Amino acid sequence: MADGTRKLKVGFADQLRDIEVALPAGEPQPWDATTKLDVVGKPHPRIEAAAKVTGAARYTHDQRPAGLVHAAVLRCPHPCAVLDALDLEPARGAPGVLAVLAVAKPGDRLLFAGQDVAALAATTPQQAHAALARIAVRYSPQPFVVDTTAAMQPDAPLVHRAQVRERSTEGDEPGTPTGSSQRGNLRMSPSQKKGDVDKGLRQAKVTHEATYSTQAHTHSALETHSIVLRWDSPTSLTAWCSTQGIFSVRDELAEVFGLKPQDVHVITDYMGGGFGAKFGASAPGSRLGFIAGELARQARAPVALLLDRREEHLCTGNRPDSIQQVTLGAAADGSLTAIKVLAHGSGGIGTGAGVGRNAFAIYTKCPNIRVESHDVFTHAGPATAFRAPGHPQGAFAIELALDELAVKLGKDPLELRLAHNEHPVRRHQFELGRKQFDWDNKRKRVADERQRNTRLRHGVGVAASIWGDFGRGKAVVASLSVGRDGSIELRNGLQDIGGGITTVVAQVVAEVLRRPLADIRVRIGTSELGPSVGSGGSNTTSSVTPAVRAAAEAVLQQLRELAGKQLAARRPEDVLWDSKGARVGGKSIAFVDLCKHIAGEAIVATGTRPDTYGAYPSRFMGGNSVAIAGVQFAEVELDTWTGLVRATHVLALHDCGRVMNPLTCRSQITGGIILGTSYALSEQRVMDKRHGVMLNPNLDSYKIAGARDVPAIDVVFTEVHTGANNTGAIGIGEPATIPTAAAIACAVFSAIGTPVRSLPLTPDRVLAALGAIPTAAPARG
Amino acid sequence: MQPFALIRPTTLLAARDRVHEHPRARLFRAGGVDLLDRMKEGLDAPAELIDLRTIADEKSLRGINPDPAGGCQLGALVTLAELAAAAELDAVLREAAGSAATPGIRNLATLGGNLLQRPRCWYYRNVDLVCLKKGGDACLAVTGENKYHAILGGGPSFIVHPSTLAAALLALDASVDIAGDTPRNIPLADLFVGPKQDPTREHSLGPGELLLRVVLPPAPPGRRSAYAVAKEKQSHDWPLVEAAVSLSLATGVMTQVRVVLGHVAPTPWRSREAEAVLENQAPSADLFRKAAAAALAPARPLRHNAYKLPLAQGLLREALHRAADLPLPE
Repeated sequence: MADGTRKLKVGFADQLRDIEVALPAGEPQPWDATTKLDVVGKPHPRIEAAAKVTGAARYTHDQRPAGLVHAAVLRCPHPCAVLDALDLEPARGAPGVLAVLAVAKPGDRLLFAGQDVAALAATTPQQAHAALARIAVRYSPQPFVVDTTAAMQPDAPLVHRAQVRERSTEGDEPGTPTGSSQRGNLRMSPSQKKGDVDKGLRQAKVTHEATYSTQAHTHSALETHSIVLRWDSPTSLTAWCSTQGIFSVRDELAEVFGLKPQDVHVITDYMGGGFGAKFGASAPGSRLGFIAGELARQARAPVALLLDRREEHLCTGNRPDSIQQVTLGAAADGSLTAIKVLAHGSGGIGTGAGVGRNAFAIYTKCPNIRVESHDVFTHAGPATAFRAPGHPQGAFAIELALDELAVKLGKDPLELRLAHNEHPVRRHQFELGRKQFDWDNKRKRVADERQRNTRLRHGVGVAASIWGDFGRGKAVVASLSVGRDGSIELRNGLQDIGGGITTVVAQVVAEVLRRPLADIRVRIGTSELGPSVGSGGSNTTSSVTPAVRAAAEAVLQQLRELAGKQLAARRPEDVLWDSKGARVGGKSIAFVDLCKHIAGEAIVATGTRPDTYGAYPSRFMGGNSVAIAGVQFAEVELDTWTGLVRATHVLALHDCGRVMNPLTCRSQITGGIILGTSYALSEQRVMDKRHGVMLNPNLDSYKIAGARDVPAIDVVFTEVHTGANNTGAIGIGEPATIPTAAAIACAVFSAIGTPVRSLPLTPDRVLAALGAIPTAAPARG
Repeated sequence: MQPFALIRPTTLLAARDRVHEHPRARLFRAGGVDLLDRMKEGLDAPAELIDLRTIADEKSLRGINPDPAGGCQLGALVTLAELAAAAELDAVLREAAGSAATPGIRNLATLGGNLLQRPRCWYYRNVDLVCLKKGGDACLAVTGENKYHAILGGGPSFIVHPSTLAAALLALDASVDIAGDTPRNIPLADLFVGPKQDPTREHSLGPGELLLRVVLPPAPPGRRSAYAVAKEKQSHDWPLVEAAVSLSLATGVMTQVRVVLGHVAPTPWRSREAEAVLENQAPSADLFRKAAAAALAPARPLRHNAYKLPLAQGLLREALHRAADLPLPE
């Protein structure tokens, strides 16, 4: 097949149109709005569900290669200290100890409480932890700062003495501006700009200015960062790793130990959550890969390095906090003339404290926008990508600010949003949600309760998300084989981080080959199975399924040719293919019988995905990705006597391209909403300013939403046929969590008429907003 | 966690003797919920745990037993789940027991353990920090993150007492039977030790002494009660504040009023100020507001916990409305 131009029907709901796309050679006809599918798009339970719920699934924490020994890491207890002396010898003699390793050396300046100092391996985990106490270590504590505002002061202790290079992973949003300058603890990043925001503010008749802040948020995956590493020879190793990117682990280990990448075998059969923090062999704030590899080499035994919950909070990444000064201007008719955001945030000793594209790229009818976001270094563990980096914090500030402006303008917040939103899918979602949520009537009840000053209040809010289609071309090579015995096996070195890709790729193969889903064996989870992508940026399904489909179509073509030969077809297109097998005129052959005619063991074909071709509805301004739209409506109940907020209902309307499997897709959206609710209402890393340590590195006082905290969730897919790739899949993982906290904060504002401009929305803050807290100076402290 | 031996004595005397010999190195274990937490965090490193659940010769450790005088005795090993499900108990106690922790923990956690657990203060719980409770010279909450700390009765330590059952039991005039060289019965209020007396401990049991049971006196006629609590999370969280109320409404006016606040002070906090406002008065929303204001009048908040004043008032009003069966405002 030569390069060709094809017509596709793309769009959403009743807004469909024809586009032409140029396809590279060999690319199957893309599925579009006219395609009828039988398996893809249907609600198939996870293939691995039984293994997960029965405990048969083996995660990294469950791996026990023969001779396994256990590592423990000595971590710096000080927020900033110079390491004066480190003597590992006493630990070497401790019971069970097989290897010791200095990670820091005397003279090193350690920059956060939790940083690696030394490590050891012992026969049992208990021996390893007990032996840590034998390490003789001396520190000179140094001045430190853990509070973001304090770190911005000119006389604050300096965190980094040299320029900091930005670290980014596959979890970060592609296209984020880079290039920066550094002064004190401040690291300035380029701003997102259009028009002239100062002029826009001068033209404004109504303005709103306020400061919004959000908390540091830790990923808190159920499975902590973990690696089990075994040297198979002096120059090759196997690593079981809890990771979102098998190949990122392979490449890091190859680099650290000077190995050929093909001699590093990485396995991630099952994975207990990452949310952006699990790329590479190490954690953002701990050199896990290096430590495990060195200890395993010394101990001449496989080493398990499994972090505990405290370490997981301290050194494996976090969502930076933010302090966002938002200024909005509007003309007398309510049209926005300016959106200005000046944001600072701290990713600890790391970078990445942005606020996403919410303020810049959603309310695009505003002609003048400027969003600046700057890093503030503090003596805390480094941030890393966290499900929609920057976006939830950015959404919170801009959406609540818009609601405050709407009140000043006497406008319905939904109307204000519709008036400034140009994305056709998002407009459709706002309108659909308005009806389904019963927005207008609910707002009346909210206003009535507020006016009557009731004890219990309801509140409603709405907020939007933006994300890109970051599906990657040429990264995935999927391999599909059909054996002489009729077995079908899909192989690719991808990892299922819980989103359900295992089931989805099986559906694609089942769809193309017209075979039962249960007959498709999916082998993934090891680097030996062929190149794949890391699962970050909401790109797994959109990167992987087109390659899988291409492989399946190539296999199908060979099967058709084989059938044509067996059934004496004159032309290949005379072969009809269905769930029974092949047919030519009155002659037919069953699938298993056809397979017996395969020469050799199997037909094997590979498939790749070309770069994104079609694009609907519009390319994102200044970028090359399609903006994925989402809108969430939230309802809260609020007790004015206690300040307690409960999120009772979230209606989520999301575009995720073709919905490959409504069960797993819904599950991802549900998970995103729970994460967002937890961020809105209770999660918060608490640092002690005087000691520079985290006070809640556990899951007791670090408060993650439980079953009773989860709202009723309704999910509406506003399916969009994008023509972006041959399956039409795009991402949902990140968009699903972006607007939740913002919508809940807007709902709280509507309930009490006073904004709570800091997350999380805990009773102390709500009572303060209600004016209920006596203002007399505290007795102490 | 340091290795330890689990000793399973079958007699009360054997258990007490064993701990008495080395009260620092040997600790009683009932449900083990808080104890094992502390051991995992490195706060306690006992060489032996003496299991109370194997003691066979002391019946009063177990069960919810009505006594002939019309009161009730609650064994120290009774679980929170059992208390929550015991229809014969007052609402305030059932509601409190059923609100704590999670169903799994409530199935394991005992009455005695709940009353004698150590505080949740995050300075105390951080093994790297030496606070007043751990022999240091200052309560780190005073100048630190004190959102969850005391607004009443604080100083020199500002912990809040962690027991959810304590407030409810105080509202029912409970006392405790203690096994020791001299067996004794003391009012529950006297079990608790405030920080002014000794900041390193929260109860008054001597070495080898053991809390056997809680004794509830007969209820006055027409007693009604209620418990109200606020938490930041509705699944598995500790109270920010709790209010426990009992009163008698036999004659149209409230008598024998008990008002106890939890998680506001280093010991469960009985408010005689609020009781004085309510005693011998007919219930009314306005009176409840006045009582709540009176209860919090002595409060001296720290930098981050003044919100507990309105919160405690709100919860107290809620509990009073419910106890007196006076509908809450919409």
